[in-house]
Amino acid sequence: MHPFRRSAKFVSILLIVFLSLIYIPVQSVFAAMIGTKAVLVDEEMQYAREKVRAFLDREDVWTALTAQGIDPLEAKARLDSLSDAEIQQISDRIDQLPAGGGVLEAVAIIAIVLFLVLLILDMIGVTDVFTFINPPPKR
Amino acid sequence: MFLHLLTHLRNDSMAICRVYFHMHGILLLIVFFVSLLGGCAGFRQLEMPPLPENAPPSHELAAVPFFPQEAYQCGPAALAMALSSSGLPVIPGDLVDEVYTPSRKGSLQMAMIGATRRHGRLAYEITDLDSIFPEIAAGHPVVILQNLGLSWYPVWHYAVAVGYDATMGNVILRSGVTPRKLMPFGVFEKTWARSNYWGLLVLQPTQLPATAKEKTYLAAVLGLEKARQFQASISGYTTAITRWPQSFPARMGLGNSYYAIGDLKSSERAFRETIRLHPNAGSAYNNLAQVLLEQGRYHEALGAARKAVSLGGPLEARYEETLREIKSHIIR
Repeated sequence: MHPFRRSAKFVSILLIVFLSLIYIPVQSVFAAMIGTKAVLVDEEMQYAREKVRAFLDREDVWTALTAQGIDPLEAKARLDSLSDAEIQQISDRIDQLPAGGGVLEAVAIIAIVLFLVLLILDMIGVTDVFTFINPPPKR
Repeated sequence: MFLHLLTHLRNDSMAICRVYFHMHGILLLIVFFVSLLGGCAGFRQLEMPPLPENAPPSHELAAVPFFPQEAYQCGPAALAMALSSSGLPVIPGDLVDEVYTPSRKGSLQMAMIGATRRHGRLAYEITDLDSIFPEIAAGHPVVILQNLGLSWYPVWHYAVAVGYDATMGNVILRSGVTPRKLMPFGVFEKTWARSNYWGLLVLQPTQLPATAKEKTYLAAVLGLEKARQFQASISGYTTAITRWPQSFPARMGLGNSYYAIGDLKSSERAFRETIRLHPNAGSAYNNLAQVLLEQGRYHEALGAARKAVSLGGPLEARYEETLREIKSHIIR
């Protein structure tokens, strides 16, 4: 038993030394750089957020939001808590807006506003909206 | 259920291009159906998209070499033509292993892009009809993915668009075993639309597409960086900077690429230039700090890392990590 224990101790110390030798340099060289991809994604997200914010500043959008019973200022405040994916979705929809005003654009704006309203409602807690759904019967 | 099967079939066959399919009787059947459709629905003759102002009404890149394809291997053939045209002497046989998937009897678009990058060439994707003629007019042949069949019975095929003739309404292709195929624009548009106008420019990293968009171009250069073609990505980012001098990702990418090949001096210069133009960019300070640290300039590194942390942002945790790392070197 004793000789086995001694060799086990020796091997484990050796392992600790070698494993940390492998690990440490890798960490110190690569952990710190911010990759180009992260930079690109970050820049795109900032751009998308600015676009959505500018969209909410438009007068026609402001009117449409108010008509849906949403305070535009409250909507703007909630933008920050939207995830990147959600912001991207809204920004994509804004990109698809037909240019030049007119009836088509107004309809499209309302569609985006409704989408926004749904998202915001979701955050407030959708469970309150669907009160007509009865919880499953208790056993 | 049936619909499900159909969509599955469609997604699956994105990869496949079969050219010698016309031996099959099924194609005859399709031709029959198409002629029926032609009878009742009628094909409208599509107009060519407007050419750029200084582009000639017809243009052909006669210097693009031609490689006839072997069965199912239009992918390697098309890519070999594009790579050769960009100054790399390759033949389709060199590319089969990189591009062709035997089990699918075709080549995936991602494989075409990956092979382009592995050869140190910039893979710039096109996704609309309007870009193709300006690119040809600028001297860039375009690899295109066509569906020669129908949406629910796809016959995928890669070809290289090398010219157009607006007066005759033709597009000139290197396609399959035909070195100079004239395709009426209407047919071209329809067969190409089924791949959502997927096209690929194979360029030297010092070349800019005529219709270059900043984001798409940078994504293409990033692809080179990911493929560890750092010399190519350095030229790509440098080219991007000449076109979009204010571009933040291009300058960061340049610094990162120099860092990747161990050229710390050039990397430092790139990040300092980024900071000069974008003084609130935490990530530029962070990377500068790391580059200084690896040159043993601990106190300068400390200053840069502190600045990054003070600027904050979504990557703040990473900046703090860098700062800790530098501090640990100073204490040691």
